[in-house]
Amino acid sequence: MGAAVTLAAAGSAVVWVAPVSGSSGGGTVTLTVGVTQDVDSPNVTVGYTVAAYELWNLQYATLTDKAADDFATIPGLASTWDASDDGLTYTYHLREGLKWSDGQPLTAEDVAWTVNTSRDQEWYNHSSVTANLDAVALDDVTVQITSAVPDPKLPTMDVYILPKHIWEGPAADDVTAFDALDGVGSGPFTLKEWKPGQEWTMVANPNYWQGQPKIDQVVFRVYTEGGAMVTALEKGELDAANDIPAELFADLGTQPNIVTVAGAQGGFTELAMNGMAGGIGDGHPALLDLNVRHAVAMAIDRQQLFDRVALGIGLPLTVLGVSPDQEWLPEIPDAEKLGYDPEAAKALLEDNGYKDTDGDGIREMPGGGEPLVFRYAERSEGTQGAAIRELITGWLKEVGIGTEVSVYDDTQLGDIIYAGTYDLFVWGWTPFVDPDPMLSYFTCDQVTYDADEAGYNDANWCSPEYDALYVQQNQELDHAKRVELVHEMIRMFNTQSTYVVLYHDADTQAYRTDRFTGWLQQPKGTGPVIFSNSSPTYFNLTPIESSGSDDGGLGTGALIAIIAGAVVLVGLIVFFAMRSRSSREDRE
Amino acid sequence: MSAAVAWARRRASAADAWRRLRRDRLAMTALIVLVAFVVMALIAPLVSDRADFDAINTGGNPTNSSPSGQFVLGTDGLGRSMALQVMWGARISLLVGFSATVLMIVLGVVVGLAAGFFGGWIDAVLMRITDWFMVIPFLPLAIVLASVLERGVGTIVLVIGITSWPSTARLIRSQVLSIRERLYVDRARALGAGKGHIIGRHILPNVTPLILANTTLAVPIAILTETTLSFLGLGDPTQVSWGGLLERAGTTAVKAGYWWEYLPPGVGIVLVVLAFTIIGRAVEEVLDPRLRAR
Amino acid sequence: MRATFILRKLAGAVSTLAFVVVFNFFLFRVVNKNPVDSMFRGRNLTASQKAELTRKFHLDGSKWDQFVGYVRQLLRGDLGLSFKGNRPVVDVIAEALWPTILLVGFSTLLAMLGIGLGYRAGWRRGSRFDTTSTSLSMLTYSMPEFWIGMVLLGIFAAKLGWFPVGGLEDPGSTATGFSKLLDQFHHMLLPAIVLAIAYVGEYMIVARSAMIETLREDYLQLARAKGMRDDDVRRKHAVPNARLPVVSLSAINFGFVVSGAIAVESIFSWPGIGQATYIAIRGPDLPVLQGLFLLISAAVIVANLIADLLYGRLDPRVVGR
Repeated sequence: MGAAVTLAAAGSAVVWVAPVSGSSGGGTVTLTVGVTQDVDSPNVTVGYTVAAYELWNLQYATLTDKAADDFATIPGLASTWDASDDGLTYTYHLREGLKWSDGQPLTAEDVAWTVNTSRDQEWYNHSSVTANLDAVALDDVTVQITSAVPDPKLPTMDVYILPKHIWEGPAADDVTAFDALDGVGSGPFTLKEWKPGQEWTMVANPNYWQGQPKIDQVVFRVYTEGGAMVTALEKGELDAANDIPAELFADLGTQPNIVTVAGAQGGFTELAMNGMAGGIGDGHPALLDLNVRHAVAMAIDRQQLFDRVALGIGLPLTVLGVSPDQEWLPEIPDAEKLGYDPEAAKALLEDNGYKDTDGDGIREMPGGGEPLVFRYAERSEGTQGAAIRELITGWLKEVGIGTEVSVYDDTQLGDIIYAGTYDLFVWGWTPFVDPDPMLSYFTCDQVTYDADEAGYNDANWCSPEYDALYVQQNQELDHAKRVELVHEMIRMFNTQSTYVVLYHDADTQAYRTDRFTGWLQQPKGTGPVIFSNSSPTYFNLTPIESSGSDDGGLGTGALIAIIAGAVVLVGLIVFFAMRSRSSREDRE
Repeated sequence: MSAAVAWARRRASAADAWRRLRRDRLAMTALIVLVAFVVMALIAPLVSDRADFDAINTGGNPTNSSPSGQFVLGTDGLGRSMALQVMWGARISLLVGFSATVLMIVLGVVVGLAAGFFGGWIDAVLMRITDWFMVIPFLPLAIVLASVLERGVGTIVLVIGITSWPSTARLIRSQVLSIRERLYVDRARALGAGKGHIIGRHILPNVTPLILANTTLAVPIAILTETTLSFLGLGDPTQVSWGGLLERAGTTAVKAGYWWEYLPPGVGIVLVVLAFTIIGRAVEEVLDPRLRAR
Repeated sequence: MRATFILRKLAGAVSTLAFVVVFNFFLFRVVNKNPVDSMFRGRNLTASQKAELTRKFHLDGSKWDQFVGYVRQLLRGDLGLSFKGNRPVVDVIAEALWPTILLVGFSTLLAMLGIGLGYRAGWRRGSRFDTTSTSLSMLTYSMPEFWIGMVLLGIFAAKLGWFPVGGLEDPGSTATGFSKLLDQFHHMLLPAIVLAIAYVGEYMIVARSAMIETLREDYLQLARAKGMRDDDVRRKHAVPNARLPVVSLSAINFGFVVSGAIAVESIFSWPGIGQATYIAIRGPDLPVLQGLFLLISAAVIVANLIADLLYGRLDPRVVGR
């Protein structure tokens, strides 16, 4: 019986392998990237994770592109454009012969459809750009875009253009229900397969307007832990990795053939408090009191978080990051900084009636009653969630605020945020080049009043004054004045303690230099190489020819291991065969 | 037979068992190890303060430092003393181990006693349920339970207790069945003794040694389960347990070569589980003459 | 007699399965605070789709209606939708099946080496071989599988670099045929060894006590006393008789090995049932957890049934009992 089992197992292995057909021979050039965050949804009207953005950056080209070096607006799908005299209308001339990855022609109609539909249906990824726009396809290669208001962002048109022939159907019904696994795009790589929680694979698009990429596919492998990812990178199983644990970062930079990058692009990590705008969700009532929010902010030593958790990688800034460009960030006066001051936090709570009446170390609502215990949602993805939680919950306890910790992956955390069933959570944002999208996320419009029309306003915070300022900056063509307005908005946001911005983090990345050349930091010198604003690296990569031997071939260690394994397997077969023979003898 | 005589006889046999156990050098070593860990867990709050390794107070400590004079087992990424955390972690691991075992034994004994003593349809129903729980794979069951219920030490105890009682129930039942048939119970019944009396005076004392052996073998299983559940992220994130320490260390500590962050909690688990297993087997051997060496 | 035995065992297995279904229903639809929410949490479901699913699963009806709906749904092989990407849970599980079957199968074969050790140890009870192998078995039995995994990963994958860090095969590998097989075998070896180390002790201990039990039989004492060659007595008489408990252990152990694989697979990113469980825990993705629990339980119940039937075949006394 033993021998039969062995054979059956071996047989099944063969059967299992057989149907997986690779392309002929080992000619496929694969770039493998390690990540700690999974795509939440490939649907551009639904997803919000940085991972999903990387997917879209590769899959969808934009009318205008962003220069790798400095984000300058450069030709994309459109090769040229002209402005009308009033500056409200732009005419974009598309390149000739553009095609989607499935071979269908990419025309001005696709552009017009995307702009108009995203505006009408308020797709939250597109709407900060297209809200005031109207597009008309004049012919196959000419699209005219008119803004209803003065728009400082134009002529930059960096929204993802979607294939109308794929999306028309879903958009007519409900676009958010579409699984978007079609893999039809106009960027250098398109989605081939997504295995949630494990990996997603993108293949080269032969119809990309800049030409066929020099690598055939990009595999993004999701790691539940940073340590395994870094080991895989060192061993050459990965070519690049994002979100390297800070404590492994310095050492990794000293390894041969590995370059580390702490890419700054204005991203930050924040503690968000549920503002319960419009009474949605079931946040703790105390969070409606600005004093409590200020106390929470002052209870947290953000410099220490930056030093001890981010290990000083990034910037110890505590303002909302809206762009990689620092000019948009205001100087916050000391009086408004809400810096670490636990005594002041305690006094503020005490003076406003939040006293510990039952002596358990946790304060209660004024007049006794519900204790100040906040639900704290921690991310299970990423690498810093646990350490941040240890410190923040400790500090909150010091000022008499209790916490109940739950851990969620990004998909679930997003759903909980949409439902408004949280008090506190820690997460982060990576802004675009223009501050407008990031600023738009905190307008009343972006609050998720109805789960079917989800918005980005994850703190459920709504202020008419802020919204008024948003509209102003959105239409201010004088750059200096616009910067002023943005500064004012960020200061207001800070004073409201909607977010307690913990620090501005840099993307801790590393890549190998022995298999590919052409890694691009965006922007040059300071930015990340992958997961950047428009992800120009991938198309720019060229495989290094000479190192072909380490692809496909197995190292000595592998050989030793395989031989050892084979010996064990043979030994087992012999062992069981002999045993069954001996028992047969016995029966006779 | 008077109660006094029976009592004396039982005490004599317990003393005899202990004498035999004491001759087992391995079991005695295991007992010493175990006592050492229990003492360590008990005195943790006396020699240190929970706040000593609260992350907000360890900002001044070196981070990820290897064992030194100041930190015998080094520190973790937030500068917390590993020695202190392993000590305090023993509290949760042992607490969960013991409480879950108590819950499991209570459940098992109640079901086993009821089934064995009452027989009939009660027996049939209870044994059916026992069989069900016996077959259902225990860790997946614990995982679904722990994910639906609220996180916390109490949940872990409950989950382990609920999932691991059936073998105890079966064991107790079979013992009760054999004891019940013995003459003196019949005689007690003939003399008009109540069921409570029979269970309390005749059956319970006789199954006690068995419960004892079962307990010592159940604790390590409970501890291992707690470790696994915590490692999978189902433990209480605000408490320090050995499994939780291993989860936190993860492959990052392995990669960085910070062995002091993942070896000590693991060694703690192995030693305690091994000690319990050795003692459990020794107790079993002492109680079951058939297992004794030729 | 034989038929009633089989029927009884079958009925037992079916009733256990039914119990698991009821238990599952109870846990996720009664204990759980918000079953509707936890059934479809995905954002990309429209209100009308939600309403339709609510109707389909009878979530608006009484608990009994819900239960009937749940059973119907199960009978159709529908386990609901995963929170991640709204994929059918059945697909998520089906994808993870083969890797786990391979890993568990191979590691079980490795662990079964313990049977041979156990027989030998039981035969020479008290010998140095016996004490050494028994102590070693107890030691490995005391180690959490995932901890063995962490330590071995640190040594053999990270330090020495003999094995890959994890996964089913090299990322983006396009190898086919034999080299693909080799690649996957290479990836499987370390986690398989970890599981084998964790479970070899159990096989060893059970085989040892089975052998000791067998040795009490008079005829063996006699055979040994008659001066038959020790090896012959062991191989021809003792081992076949000591096989029974070992067979049932293998089946029961199946459940443990699958469970053990949960933590080990997560360490080695082996894309099987275990890693699927780990990912679902981190969600938490309740529909997937529910489906996995059902599937693993069913597998273990079947394994137990097979063991019972085999036991009956090998030992006629059992049938009559």
